[in-house]
Amino acid sequence: MLLSIPHLILLLFSWSWGIHAASPSHEEIVGDFFNKNGHAGSTSNHTNNWAVLVCASRYWFNYRHMANALGMYRTVKRLGIPDSNIILMLADDAACNARNKFPGSVYANPGRGLDLYGDNIEVDYRGYEVTVENFIRVLTGRMEPSVPRSKRLLTDARSNVFVYMTGHGGNEFLKFQDNEEISAFDIADAFEQMWQKRRYNEIFFMIDTCQANTMYSKFYSPNILATGSSKMDQNSYSYENDNDIGVAVIDRYTHYVLEYMERINKTSHETMRDLFDSYDRDKIGSDPGVRADLFPRPLDEVRITDFFGGVAQVEVQPPCVAEDVSLPGDFSSEGDVSLSNDSSSEDQQSAQSPVHAGGKAAGAWGQSTDRGSDGWRGTRAWGGILLLAALVGWAGWGK
Amino acid sequence: MLIHWKSHFLWALCLPLLTISRSLASETFEEELTVRALRDGKVASRFSFTTILDGETPRNPQNLSVEDTSQHYTLFPLTLGQILREYAVTEMHLSLNAGKWNYKRWGYPDEADVGSGAELWAWMGDGGVSTVDERWRGLRNGLAGLFCASLGSLDELRTTSPSFSFTPQGGVPDSPFPYAIRHASLPSEHVCTENLTPFLKLLPCKSLSGIASLLNPHRLFDADWHGMGLHVLWLPDQGVQVRLTFQSVADPLRPSANKRDWSFASIFDRTIDRTCPSATSSRVAVALPINEAYSIHPQPSSIEQDHAIFNLEGQNAPLDVSMQWAAEFEYLATYFRTAETPLSVRRTLQGSSQDLGKLSVFITNDGTVEIQAAYLETMPWIVQFYLHTMTFHVDGVPRADLVHNISYIPPIPHSRAMTFQAVLTLPSRSTVHLSIDITKAFLRYTEHPPDAQRGWDLSPAVLVPLGPGAEGRGRRIYTPTLLVDLATPDFSMPYNVIIFSCSLVAFIFGSIFNLLTRKFVVLHAESN
Repeated sequence: MLLSIPHLILLLFSWSWGIHAASPSHEEIVGDFFNKNGHAGSTSNHTNNWAVLVCASRYWFNYRHMANALGMYRTVKRLGIPDSNIILMLADDAACNARNKFPGSVYANPGRGLDLYGDNIEVDYRGYEVTVENFIRVLTGRMEPSVPRSKRLLTDARSNVFVYMTGHGGNEFLKFQDNEEISAFDIADAFEQMWQKRRYNEIFFMIDTCQANTMYSKFYSPNILATGSSKMDQNSYSYENDNDIGVAVIDRYTHYVLEYMERINKTSHETMRDLFDSYDRDKIGSDPGVRADLFPRPLDEVRITDFFGGVAQVEVQPPCVAEDVSLPGDFSSEGDVSLSNDSSSEDQQSAQSPVHAGGKAAGAWGQSTDRGSDGWRGTRAWGGILLLAALVGWAGWGK
Repeated sequence: MLIHWKSHFLWALCLPLLTISRSLASETFEEELTVRALRDGKVASRFSFTTILDGETPRNPQNLSVEDTSQHYTLFPLTLGQILREYAVTEMHLSLNAGKWNYKRWGYPDEADVGSGAELWAWMGDGGVSTVDERWRGLRNGLAGLFCASLGSLDELRTTSPSFSFTPQGGVPDSPFPYAIRHASLPSEHVCTENLTPFLKLLPCKSLSGIASLLNPHRLFDADWHGMGLHVLWLPDQGVQVRLTFQSVADPLRPSANKRDWSFASIFDRTIDRTCPSATSSRVAVALPINEAYSIHPQPSSIEQDHAIFNLEGQNAPLDVSMQWAAEFEYLATYFRTAETPLSVRRTLQGSSQDLGKLSVFITNDGTVEIQAAYLETMPWIVQFYLHTMTFHVDGVPRADLVHNISYIPPIPHSRAMTFQAVLTLPSRSTVHLSIDITKAFLRYTEHPPDAQRGWDLSPAVLVPLGPGAEGRGRRIYTPTLLVDLATPDFSMPYNVIIFSCSLVAFIFGSIFNLLTRKFVVLHAESN
């Protein structure tokens, strides 16, 4: 009988171990959780979006490069990435330049229809701070401790990062401030370091410069999708001049990308394949390239909002929907004095938008049975441990 | 029903907490806009947003190793409060200006800090676990992030400690350890919407209501002069005060050559549509002209000392204050023959060489009394003074006896800035001329900025009138910035040199090698 007690303990151990092995591993549970969090119907499993937008050119005559980066800034902000998740680098100040006839404004079209600078903008690195060193520090996160959060790329292994660069470049290099260059190898190594430090889930790299496609040719890290404006030995051209501003206001490639993006909104289902198919060689004047060999997902399943939009869904449980809708309504009726009608109706819309998530909520409901069986496994495991403890206690007391 | 009961219960829980936090520190927020027409037809406006945290004292640097008390603010900007507590800053002033303040035509500004570009100075106590310089670096970086400005580059090469010209404006808590000042300026800094955006975010009503709704970037950055400021002081009998200021000089004469009429709509392209409910006092003060016919609209709430006061509470929305003059504006030469301020400073850098030069400062005292003034010159190490060549002339007569208390901290190449302070006696109705020979440094190839051909901007010098009786005592006068042209290499030259010298070496080496290794043999061609 005494001999059999250790056997019994061993048996119990193996039993509880078996339960643990049979239940889904920790990583799977976490993976499932995050997958649930992705866009409904999207195959991406990111939980946050970041954007690094770089204009590497200085001087007034490079106005169009400032406008390129600001056009992208406006688009990602419109699609839901907040200022805190956007690192904007502008090598010169076009908006308040003494040569600018329209102070505080940057326009990207000759009719000056849309002011890209607006009333609400945060430029994180500007002027002399836009250097190759700072750009690589932003990507790799090697910073002095006192560098503020707004200047850091605080990404994690679940971040989708959109990197946009524009400036003057050549075969495998991009000039910063007409003073130094970043090479294709530098960016490739920085991305590899990011991958090793688990600083991204997926990267979408876009570059508009001469011979842009050479810049992504050296990438070797996984999960990077890249596109550029022109192939080797080709120039990228500016789109149009504005006679009052006096210089070219935007580059062709960026102009057509932004034109396409204007059709996209937060709930859009358009994919990267659609974006790349929209490239028109005759209009752009160069051969835009796409590099997808490092990217595992098929391009027609990659939503544009996976990179350009912020993750903005909130899981709403059905019984609470009515209450949630009523609450903001109360606020807006109280705060009518300070809110215009437009904004309160917007509030209503956003309050109702969780209804769209109904399908997903149903999914959550479907998984609730699994959760029940998880509970059963848990009870069995705890019961086993309790039994074990009781036996050990009894054995010790018996002696 | 259940939900209602729950919410009541929550309220009951929260209510005591709310009352406690209220009683701990009360905060008041006041806003004021001052508008005055200047002699040359321009309109100066000054926005001032003051938040006072009652009974609060700046963090004691000796407690930096201990965890700080929690910060619960309702009106006080939390993002700024965190920086101030983290680095135990007793007093700090930040200004971001663009343009040259014309003292001669516009007089003294409402806010003294009008030097071009960015200027930051702070008083901090010593005796903590981290030194003043470490905290100064943290403060710089924190504010750089907060205001989207390049303040991170106000590094050791630009930092000085001019304790004489920049005295604390508020109180300083008693401490066994001394307080130290750090000052740095960046004259080439641009100011634009990205600086105004975070500025507005520090205000309780943002730019949605109150006088802050007039802060329209498209018009402000079009002004002849504009500048924003942040001032944090400790007032011993009140608490910690944060004051955000914005000054601008608009030109109503630009669209119409002889009408200097202005209104909020014409200067700012906006009107005040609603009041800020958080403000305890919210008012507009307009300086009224003397000896001129004018009309002001709407009816002011009250008149105080030549100022028309509009209390936003009592005015009909939208408020669009406007002022019309009966007479057309004429440029009269007599306007500008006399200066608005008794003191005026002119500073130039002479010499055309890229090696040596001369700094020459002319200070004119138009007043009837002698003035003592502290003169401060801070320079990055790229410009070095030959102090023994300093001369001081009053109307052409050498008067070295009028310069006292010279303190000079020489620059250390590549690591420390230069500070030159002196007290000057400026006799009445005369012009003094101070000159010093300088040498310009020869920079390393990598020390040049990306636009090296533009030259280097030098910080403005500061003149502070001292002593009793001097008009504008304690007010600082900033000179315009200077641009120094250093020896700049042709940055493509190294490549040319490498290519040329390689070609030359290849040519010479190749031919000599050829000559040395080849064997010359005379061959006789045999006939047949």
